[in-house]
Amino acid sequence: MQRLLYDRFSSMMYAVCLRYSDDTEDANDVMQEGFIKVYKSLSKFRAEGSFEGWVRRIFINTSIEHYRKKVKLYNVSEVQENTIEDSELNALDSLATKDVLNIINELSPGYKQVFNMHVIEGYSHKEIAEIMGITEGTSKSQLARAKSVLKKIIETRINNPKNSR
Amino acid sequence: MQDFKNKLYNYETPPPGEIWRNIEKELQISNEPEDEKVVNISTHRRSAFLFYGATAAASVVIIFLGSLFFNKNKHLNPTANTPANSNNVLAQKIKDSINLNHKILESIIHNPKEKKEIIAKNQNQKNSKKYLTVANPEGQPVKISPKVATLIISADNGFPPKPVWNKKISKWQKIMLSSTVSPISANLIDLVKLAAKNDNDNLE
Repeated sequence: MQRLLYDRFSSMMYAVCLRYSDDTEDANDVMQEGFIKVYKSLSKFRAEGSFEGWVRRIFINTSIEHYRKKVKLYNVSEVQENTIEDSELNALDSLATKDVLNIINELSPGYKQVFNMHVIEGYSHKEIAEIMGITEGTSKSQLARAKSVLKKIIETRINNPKNSR
Repeated sequence: MQDFKNKLYNYETPPPGEIWRNIEKELQISNEPEDEKVVNISTHRRSAFLFYGATAAASVVIIFLGSLFFNKNKHLNPTANTPANSNNVLAQKIKDSINLNHKILESIIHNPKEKKEIIAKNQNQKNSKKYLTVANPEGQPVKISPKVATLIISADNGFPPKPVWNKKISKWQKIMLSSTVSPISANLIDLVKLAAKNDNDNLE
């Protein structure tokens, strides 16, 4: 059964690990740790949501724990930086998934975690604050800065397509 | 923007094959030693319980024996119960009793109205309300009532509080001396003589 679970979810969860990790080595560690947690926590699954969502949540939490062991994210004061509209990131839609992944991986770890959790996974700032041990204000500020950095990266790539990875 | 979100959310990429092998190894390792660990933990707990239990029992025994030893030493104190010491203590008690007796009697003579207060002040709690303790010529304590003490003093010519008592005492002495019953040390006549003798000794 363990092998079946692994075959069913490994590709999907490995993509999650890659999005939250700095490099493939970290992603491999999180992948291994995440599946061990899934196997040990199977009895705790209450079928209140989808099994895939439950497994994904375990992997995201494992990624955050792994990240927090390496980097201490300090609370910062909430500033009004959330001026980047989502429409300004529409350029990402025209890119291939691997390219988008590469662009997101250029973000610093703190920005990347919050961006992934809020934009991709759909967590609220309150949930992010609880999981990461920061304030909601810090989560909002991190997201605003992440979007700002992404916008600059996209603009750079559009202006200098040869320099893009 | 929704497109790249969905792309990333549903993105899948196969992990390296070594990851499953590592997971498999870890699962085997985590399954095997658990049994041993359970045995080890229970053994450790049992030994810890025995260790603390034995320590507590030993402490109780040591405290008990220690208390017995020190109590025994208290009773075996060589200066406490030797015959010489007990004689000294008894002699001192008799001396104190005689001194107290004289003090009380003199106080009664000089302040007969305050007799009760003086007696109450100078006597012990038990029996002291009813009796005074005096020493006879042989050094043995004898209890007498305050009234008898007054009679004893009255018999002494040196401090006659009420001269009429001298006549009465002389009369009683004659009657008792003519009696065929021989007096003992605790009798009234002996006490009267004792008091008179003590007063004479003090005057000398």
